[in-house]
Amino acid sequence: MSEQGLLDVVDSEEHRMIRNTVREFCEAEIEPIAQEIENEHRFPEEIFEQLGELDMMGVPVSMEHGGLGGDQLMYALVTEELGRVSGGIGLSYAAHVSLGSKPIEMFGTEEQKEEWLEPLAAGEGMGAWALTEPGSGSDASDMDTMAVKDGDEYVLNGTKQFITNANVANSVLVKAVTDPDAGYDGISTFIVDPENDDGFEITTVWDKMGLNCSPTCEIQLDDVRIPEDRLLGEEGEGWEQTKKTLDGGRISIAALSTGVAQGAYEAARDYSTEREQFGQPISEFDAIRDKVVDMHRKIERARLLTHKAAWAYDQGQSVSRESALAKLDASEAAREVAEESVQTLGGYGYTEDFAPQRFYRDAKLMEIGEGTSEIQHLVIGREIGL
Amino acid sequence: MKVLVTVKEVAAVEDDFEIDGLSIDDRYLEYDLNEWDDYAVEAAVQIAEAADEDVEVVAATIGPERSEETIRMALAKGADRAVRVWDDAIADQTLLDVNAKASVFEQVVAEEEPDLVLTGVQAADDALGATGVALANRVGYQWAAVVNDLDYAAGDDVATVRRELEGGVEEITEVDLPAVLSIQTGINEPRYASLRGIRQAQQKEIAPHDLSDLGLDAETVDGALELTDMYEPESESDATIFEGGAEETATELANVLRDKGVVGE
Repeated sequence: MSEQGLLDVVDSEEHRMIRNTVREFCEAEIEPIAQEIENEHRFPEEIFEQLGELDMMGVPVSMEHGGLGGDQLMYALVTEELGRVSGGIGLSYAAHVSLGSKPIEMFGTEEQKEEWLEPLAAGEGMGAWALTEPGSGSDASDMDTMAVKDGDEYVLNGTKQFITNANVANSVLVKAVTDPDAGYDGISTFIVDPENDDGFEITTVWDKMGLNCSPTCEIQLDDVRIPEDRLLGEEGEGWEQTKKTLDGGRISIAALSTGVAQGAYEAARDYSTEREQFGQPISEFDAIRDKVVDMHRKIERARLLTHKAAWAYDQGQSVSRESALAKLDASEAAREVAEESVQTLGGYGYTEDFAPQRFYRDAKLMEIGEGTSEIQHLVIGREIGL
Repeated sequence: MKVLVTVKEVAAVEDDFEIDGLSIDDRYLEYDLNEWDDYAVEAAVQIAEAADEDVEVVAATIGPERSEETIRMALAKGADRAVRVWDDAIADQTLLDVNAKASVFEQVVAEEEPDLVLTGVQAADDALGATGVALANRVGYQWAAVVNDLDYAAGDDVATVRRELEGGVEEITEVDLPAVLSIQTGINEPRYASLRGIRQAQQKEIAPHDLSDLGLDAETVDGALELTDMYEPESESDATIFEGGAEETATELANVLRDKGVVGE
């Protein structure tokens, strides 16, 4: 296999074995149903059950809390493999791990980890988090959802938008304002239980351009009363937590994007060597060869940036710039590569019998979710002193 | 009790490849655990998992250091430890014949004293298909070849096996232990290694042995067979692949059948 990224530099047999095993599973169990679950707009519970049995649902979560105890690079490798066969499964997976699970591990109390993190890491439930609102996207801290202390409870009110996994989640980490006058420092995070907390309602499950096997929901919080021990960390720490969470989350979206690009590239490469026109495989025409080579170049670049960010994360370095750069580059690569993959397959590429159109649809979200490309530019600009 | 599983790393060849002397150029090879051995490992691990007593599953292989990554998959799937035999004298062989392999495994069996030895029916690369039976003969164990169903619980003195014979005939045989069984694909459904299994496998032992460690000398592996040539046979068949949707390709196929006189106008 040529798609090593930094894997042959790190040279870890364990990482290679895990990558190969996940690939084997993805090709046998996910690839055959990937288009079907998209068409049906169906969250494939049975696949996530199997991912749980294979210990994939808590890859970067400590063993102490039911996870695999792997590093960010291992997690990136697994996420890439999922993206290579299904962007939707990869997205629900990345949201479960990076956004739904990791914050509990990083900021939760021991009791919270036992109650809320362990079932997620063991694959017994899905994780989610709720930051975005109808009126607050890129300007994420400008939120209207409020949490008001009432005795030993908090009362949550508001609307959350585009929440991945919300209708299949065991827990949702909801961001809400606890101090309206404190700006960034007035935001807090709460663990909400969609099943047992009254007042939590899924008001919309969106039909989307792609990624339809991954549910994206609108949530209404209507006087949701939760005990005070559901506060994650301290009051006012929500924004700092968000930034830290997204540093890791962006690496996983970069990995997912790399996988989507890889899947699209492989479809184009294979087709181009088999399809004959004018008496020869189309890969032997400069126009197609250069296209496929460019796909390969972009993917390798995206993968290296992703692995570098993951590696730096594992060294405990600050990765705001690295993860934003990886996410920006890989998501752009995914969209460009998927588009060229459709073009390489021509009419067939535009049909649902072939995968490129699905990767093309899936890729576009990567430039939007977990910070748009425009926000990544903002983050990177700040990091390089602009 | 102890179950020994012989496993082999085999090379799979890409569709397009080049032959370099007596072997296929390494650039076109991908290494993997021999398919039959995957079923043998699964059979051994299932015996261990269902057992009331302690069952140790030991994987044994003849292979270079590179093969450790492949052998470790057997450990990730549940084998407890592995023995890897390699030697310059083995590397020098153009083809390691059945006799040589049986000699090596004979010493491994002498050292490990397993109650049950499971081998794959054959290896996907050189397909000699005789190592298991040859080994049974050497060590004086009972044996059954091409086993596609196994009824055995740890501690039993007898294994009931179903064997696949020619022409779709099957037989059910009882085999006294200690025994060597060569395992056919389809006997079970080999599991995926869990990621935790893979992580734990990094700590499991793969003990390296050379021939002298096993009390053997270089001549032991000097087989009667020598590889003299490798080439691609000329293909005389002619295949046409129809691409596209069902309606279009069905029309094309119908035209061919009509042209060849298979169906009338």
